[in-house]
Amino acid sequence: MVNLNTVAPKNNRDYYIALGLEGSANKLGVGVVKHPLLPKHANSDLSYDCEAEMLSNIRDTYVTPPGEGFLPRDTARHHRNWCVRLIKQAIAEAGLQDPALDIDVICFTRGPGMGAPLHSVVVAARTCSLLWDVPLVGVNHCIGHIEMGREITKAQNPVVLYVSGGNTQVIAYSEKRYRIFGETLDIAIGNCLDRFARTLKIPNEPSPGYNIEQLARSAPHKDALVELPYTVKGMDLSMSGILASIDSLAKDLFKGNKKNKILFDRQTGEQKVTVEDLCYSLQENLFAMLVEITERAMAHVNSNQVLIVGGVGCNVRLQEMMAQMCKDRANGQVHATDNRFCIDNGVMIAQAGLLEYRMGGIVKDFSETIVTQKFRTDEVYAAWRD
Amino acid sequence: MPLDHTLELKIPFETEKQASIATKVLSPDPILKPQDFQADYSSENNVMLARFRSIDDRVLRVGVSSVIDSIKTIIETMDELS
Repeated sequence: MVNLNTVAPKNNRDYYIALGLEGSANKLGVGVVKHPLLPKHANSDLSYDCEAEMLSNIRDTYVTPPGEGFLPRDTARHHRNWCVRLIKQAIAEAGLQDPALDIDVICFTRGPGMGAPLHSVVVAARTCSLLWDVPLVGVNHCIGHIEMGREITKAQNPVVLYVSGGNTQVIAYSEKRYRIFGETLDIAIGNCLDRFARTLKIPNEPSPGYNIEQLARSAPHKDALVELPYTVKGMDLSMSGILASIDSLAKDLFKGNKKNKILFDRQTGEQKVTVEDLCYSLQENLFAMLVEITERAMAHVNSNQVLIVGGVGCNVRLQEMMAQMCKDRANGQVHATDNRFCIDNGVMIAQAGLLEYRMGGIVKDFSETIVTQKFRTDEVYAAWRD
Repeated sequence: MPLDHTLELKIPFETEKQASIATKVLSPDPILKPQDFQADYSSENNVMLARFRSIDDRVLRVGVSSVIDSIKTIIETMDELS
């Protein structure tokens, strides 16, 4: 059993308030979370049921023109420009009068992510901490996603599929750590989709993956999948070859290369495949791989719940395919959240950081706030879980 | 190579506390290439003193401008959120 009330709320209040700052990739997020102080949390395993209230959840995304990705330097500049304004807005929206009195803990993303954007946010976090005399907690970005997903969906002990622009992992909890069962060996699934979107020169607004999903919906030849490499390696995945393969198909399609028999009819030279079909086939192929390793992880840990987190987790087609697999297994359930909580945000950092804070984990020296590009999910000791 | 290209910045803050906060915020981060660039921060009364040493002017300029970017964030935070 775990005592989540190890640290009492500030000023004898009956609730905790955490400010969360996220900026590991192209999204800058600031959120405020409130947890009531409840006797049931003193001796239980209820870290998935904190009765959390999201007082504010503000996000600003750095969007690049079609055909371009986001670079660390420009993303860091975006975060620097907006960080303080977003913090101010989040505090106002949450109705906090005096942050120095009201906030128990400031949570920030310590990694993994792009170094420069992470650093530009931690500078603001450190300054706030010293100005208000409020402690800091550094949060692993992946753990933020997992804890937010558990709190929203109330999934007690799910197999977690974490799919985003920078990460692709199948995770299950065991013995105080979130253990990685399988992951990508090269690029992340979101990166694969984003880069294909760049090849197609489709807009990055609201997100490249969302636009691919919309194109895939209107694919005219859903019955005839374009064959792509299917690269599941044990519990791991590889996606760079799939990207290279679909990229070259798209380029042949744009050039009108009639020699390509996959795209054009051998005899008549008529086009058989559209851009929408390519999007559809890419999604089906990639998601089938994800479903396969997730199902294997479920069998391994004897679980019937899946929690999908991360930006790609908003994809409705992925949720559908996962739901089908779970239905075929006995009484399985899929848990997913909408884009407020799936896509990187500040409240998820506040949620995970507040759990850590309630167990007594705070930054004691600023040397612990140094951000890190590489920070694996299983490095974190999950004190708040049984 | 000797670190013989140097620069000193003296940044006045409104209060002694602000200067000390800025020093504490900037100090922890490691320099990526310590053999090429070094930075030291200290504060005296309401002034923060930043001393930079580098192998050439180019590395010095790049290093200093990224520190100035961070200082801008610190000052904006102090102005808007305290």
